[in-house]
Amino acid sequence: MRYVIIGAGVAGLSAVEAIRSVDTAGEIVMISDDPFGYYSRPGLAYYLTGELPDKALFPRTKEHYQNLNFNFLKARVTRILRSDHAVLVDGKSKLSYDKLLIAVGARAMPLEVSGASLDGVVKLDHLTDARHIMSLARRGKTAVVVGGGITALELTEGLLARGMKVHYLLRGDRYWSNVLDKHESHVVEDRLKEEGVILHHKAELKEITGKRGRVSQVTLQDGSIIKCEMVAYAVGISPCLELIHESHLAKDRGILVNEQLQTTDPDIYAAGDVAQVYDPLTGKSVLDSLWNPAREQGRVAGWNMAGRRAAYLKSAPFNVTRLAGLTTTIIGVVGRGKDDDLIGIARGDSETWRELPEAIIAQSGFDVNHMRLMVGEKTLVGAIVMGDQTLSWPLQKMIAGRADISSIRDRIMQPDAPLADLIAQFWMTWRTEVAL
Amino acid sequence: MALLNIFKRDSSKHTVLATGHVISESSRCVQCGVCSYNCPIGIDVRAHVWRDEAVKHSECLTCGECVARCPRGVLRFAQTDLFVRSKG
Repeated sequence: MRYVIIGAGVAGLSAVEAIRSVDTAGEIVMISDDPFGYYSRPGLAYYLTGELPDKALFPRTKEHYQNLNFNFLKARVTRILRSDHAVLVDGKSKLSYDKLLIAVGARAMPLEVSGASLDGVVKLDHLTDARHIMSLARRGKTAVVVGGGITALELTEGLLARGMKVHYLLRGDRYWSNVLDKHESHVVEDRLKEEGVILHHKAELKEITGKRGRVSQVTLQDGSIIKCEMVAYAVGISPCLELIHESHLAKDRGILVNEQLQTTDPDIYAAGDVAQVYDPLTGKSVLDSLWNPAREQGRVAGWNMAGRRAAYLKSAPFNVTRLAGLTTTIIGVVGRGKDDDLIGIARGDSETWRELPEAIIAQSGFDVNHMRLMVGEKTLVGAIVMGDQTLSWPLQKMIAGRADISSIRDRIMQPDAPLADLIAQFWMTWRTEVAL
Repeated sequence: MALLNIFKRDSSKHTVLATGHVISESSRCVQCGVCSYNCPIGIDVRAHVWRDEAVKHSECLTCGECVARCPRGVLRFAQTDLFVRSKG
């Protein structure tokens, strides 16, 4: 039995572990052209801020990999030859598979503006990008950041930490408007301003111009000019689908897979950012670009590939991030509408955050300790917790477990209700009842 | 009264530190490594989190560096009851 895994991200590694937990003898080959193999991509944000050296981003030692007993091939898969049950490596050699996993992830959408190919226009996909940004960032110089969501903010904070003067351009009237509400956007924006970031709302890039091939300024649609040495962008990501173009596997925006993470070819699976996964609860196939679902999908794919039947059940989407220094947990359904700053889904984003259920918003807290609850008929359907995270774990469990909150719903809905106390009291009882 | 509360708070914090250990919530973790990097005695905290295990390591000082520095609130202190938390 030979398992071939394309991609060295968390979905791929997690699949290797899962396969090994079932099949100790089968041959596993992981193929990736990422020069660095497996490392923490979300951790790049903390490498940029200087909280970590790059070598600390690698969670595994050689011994770990030896124990998992798999081969790593640093190469590019250029085609999937389904009729041969093989992949074409570097355009020349064939490698056959019995079961194949596509876990090639997603990449930053390009910046569609004149001058985008100038030196100094940067994105944050890989360690190579992060190192490039570090080499360009110089104290006292100016950067322009374009885009919404988590990555754009991480770029802003990283460049700020490098001593750069940062202009942050938002096409919309506030930050991450499809997930955060007005108050939350303003909390983030106020903190950025305090740090010295210059925010430009309803600002759109018209062109980037350079001198001798290097960025020297940007012009906005309203004609204003910002002199700068760097333009960093994060306008959304898109699944890497080139590999399957001629394979006739079903795709939509990602590779379509069922609950077993199986594509329309029973011997080919897909997991992580590249997969658009069927959710039996809603009947829809959705994209998540979250790290933990990628890990879980890799695990489920690996088990199924090795013959242990398992289903991936999408739980309430959940992510933790740091927005302008404020730890923020986003659970379940919280947002609505579209975001002018994002063309596609953002890294660290989930499409289901923006589904619109019958829910009412109840809110509590103040600038740095803030909680917003989306209250359904009998359950909580979503929550955002900024600052103090004491209640984020209980809320995650209550939302995922569809806790019946009828007993406190009326009190929650009262103006100025002590939300944190009500949730904490409810949690203490509920968790005993459901034996958590 | 305020002083008494402070004393109570500190005393319970010290109890947790003395008798507790670091536990994790792996679904929040992205394996960035800030915890392992900052551990003064080199415990690979991140590996414990990947396996969803508490950091029950004989050399752990419960100094709190990993808990304080984790950018995603993955780690916290606990006594035997998982929900007794440090208020510090």
